[in-house]
Order: sequence, then structure tokens, then C-alpha cells
Amino acid sequence: MTRIAWTLADLATQLLEPQERDVVRGDLAECGATGWRALREVLGLVIRRQSMLWTEWQPWFALIAIVLPIGVMLSHAARWWADVYSLEALIYWRLWNLSYLDYPGWRHNIELLAWSATMSGAALAGWSWTSGYVLASVARHTRWIAIGLFALMVFLGTLGTGTVARASAGAFAGHFLGVVLPRLVRFLLVLLPALSGMYCARRGTLSRSMLATGAIALIALTLFAGSFLELSMTLGRGVYPSGAVIGPDKTAGTADDQRPLWPMSIVMLWPTAAILSSTLWRRGPASSSRW
Amino acid sequence: MLLGEFEYLMLTAAARLGDEAYGAAIRQEIEDATGTSCSIGALYTTLDRLEGKGLIKTWMGDPTPERGGRPKRMVRVTPKGVDAATSFYNAVRRVSRGVAWAKS
Repeated sequence: MTRIAWTLADLATQLLEPQERDVVRGDLAECGATGWRALREVLGLVIRRQSMLWTEWQPWFALIAIVLPIGVMLSHAARWWADVYSLEALIYWRLWNLSYLDYPGWRHNIELLAWSATMSGAALAGWSWTSGYVLASVARHTRWIAIGLFALMVFLGTLGTGTVARASAGAFAGHFLGVVLPRLVRFLLVLLPALSGMYCARRGTLSRSMLATGAIALIALTLFAGSFLELSMTLGRGVYPSGAVIGPDKTAGTADDQRPLWPMSIVMLWPTAAILSSTLWRRGPASSSRW
Repeated sequence: MLLGEFEYLMLTAAARLGDEAYGAAIRQEIEDATGTSCSIGALYTTLDRLEGKGLIKTWMGDPTPERGGRPKRMVRVTPKGVDAATSFYNAVRRVSRGVAWAKS
């Protein structure tokens, strides 16, 4: 048990600045603290330090501008991606016949599907990466709490909602397609890229030109994949408003849907815009591009 | 500048320890004097506050074997800190004149 307490205390010290971490570990070793006392002492300091940090505006800004809105949108987008493309893949898997490739129409359909899955998946990863990057830049000292809350939003943001695919296809009653795959996609295409973005922001290893090129590419990708983002939100059961004006074809998310859906892409792109502006207008090395 | 009581205790402990003043030693000094425990959280956040007010100066000391090769956060009371502690002590003495617990 004492060993566990020491391990937890060691983990908790990771939330302290490196210099203070060493000093505190040294103090605990010098006074011969037991594992549980060490854990209590470290947690006490961490809570005091964190509560002091939250008296500044940056952590709240990160929470309100990234963690809540973008976390929920990425949660819906990732589930939408998992549902739509797993259903398409399942249909092809069940009905697959090599002779399909002889028909240009089928080939085109498969190419289109692969292209659209790749582009929207890349957009998902790109939005997540820029969110992690800006999160670590804005809320440098509270980044671990912020990313923890971001992960909560990503994994729990779709609670109580569904998708059209789920409502109409029995395949999602299965545990893998219904539960495991959406979580896996959230982990691989959202959380990992966000952590990678955080890491890059902390290390400051990316040059300005790389950041600017990536940001411009993501804006172009969003123009292509923006409708995918809108569909992921409008066709979730929980956010489908009854009696809404959704155009003559009565289908949400299509061209005649008069609801203002485009701002979602703008919200999703603001971290990208922030990165782009910081690379264009700031002087000095990229590692100093903190807000 | 009026100090808090814990800030006064820390300044006094640091002044008493002199060149040997560092986090863990100050903490031990306060615990011995008051008979109550002093948490690491209270110690280091108060040290930061005192340093912010310019009452102490801190720096990283050398690592020692009994600390597992980890450094100490050394503390020195500044002249401004001496003035603040003196004012606090004099205020306590003045306000305590004539009260029952101050007669001894």
C-alpha cells in the first residue's frame, strides 16, 4: 500500500513545476514521510497551486473557448465518422464481390468513399491537433487538467444522443460497432492528436513555416469536410429540433437546410486561425509563440 | 506592511536559521515552535507570497544525499522583510500591553 501511495505521490508531483517537484521530493525524503503522508502533502500543494492558477483568465478562456465547444463538436464528429464509415464498410464487406471492380460506377463509389473517409478523418485529427496545441499555449500551467476535461467532453459529449445511422441500422446494436469503435476513433483521431499538439506546443520544435503550412492545409481541408461536421451535429437525435425549418426536401444538413450551420466550422477553426496569426505576426522562435 | 501571522512565523524561522534556512528546515522550526503541523502546501505558497512582496529571496541550493540528491529551496530574509517582521512584532507587543496572557 505504501508503495502505491508513493507512486501516486510521484505522479501528483508531475503537476508541479520541475524545480518545485525536485524540492518537494527532497523535503519528503529528508523528513522521512510515509507514502500516504507524502501523497497528502503533495496533493495539498498541487491543489493550492492549481487553485491559484485558476484565478487567472487563461484557464477559463481555454475551458470556454476550446474544451467545452470544440470537445463536444469533436465528440459528435468522431462518432459520426465511426458510424457512417463503419456502416459503409460493413455493407461492402457483406456484399463484396471482386467483379464489382469491373464496373466504373462501383469503382468510383469506392474511391469516393475512401477519399471522403480519409479527408474527413484527417480533418478530425487536424482539428484535434490544433485544439491541443492552442490549449497548451493558452493554459500552459493548467494543461493537464484542461486536457483531462477535454477528454471527458470527447468521450461523454454524445451522451443521450444518436445518429441517423444508429436509428436505422441494426448493426449498431452490436457491442463493437455500437460502443467500442466510436471510442477507439475518439482515442485515435481526437485524443492522440490533441496530446501530440500539446506536446509540440510545449517543445516548440515546429518551425513557423511548418505551422503556417499545416494551418492553411487544415483550412482547405475544413472547406472540404465542413459538411461532415455539420451533419454530425444536426443528425444526432438529441440535437435534431422538431419543427425546424430544414428546407423543401425535409432533410437536415442538405443544401436547402436554412439553419445557420456554417458557424460550427468557424468555431472549429479558431485554434487554427490563432496558430496562423501567431506564426505570421509574432517575432522570435516558434517556441515562444505562447498566448 | 502588515503581515499575516503565518508569514511572520516564516520570516522569524528563516531569520533564526540564517544561512541554513530552507523549506524543510523552516517547516521543522515552525512545527517545533507552535506544536502544530505545517503542510508543504502552506509552506511553499507562503514562501512565494513573501518573495512576491520582496520580503525574502529564494534560490536553489545544492543537492544533498539525505534528500536523495535533490536540491533545497534556500531562503534569505531581505532588509524589507526584517522591517516588516519588526513592525509586526512591535505591533503585537503594543497591542498586548496589559492583557492577562502577556504579563509573564
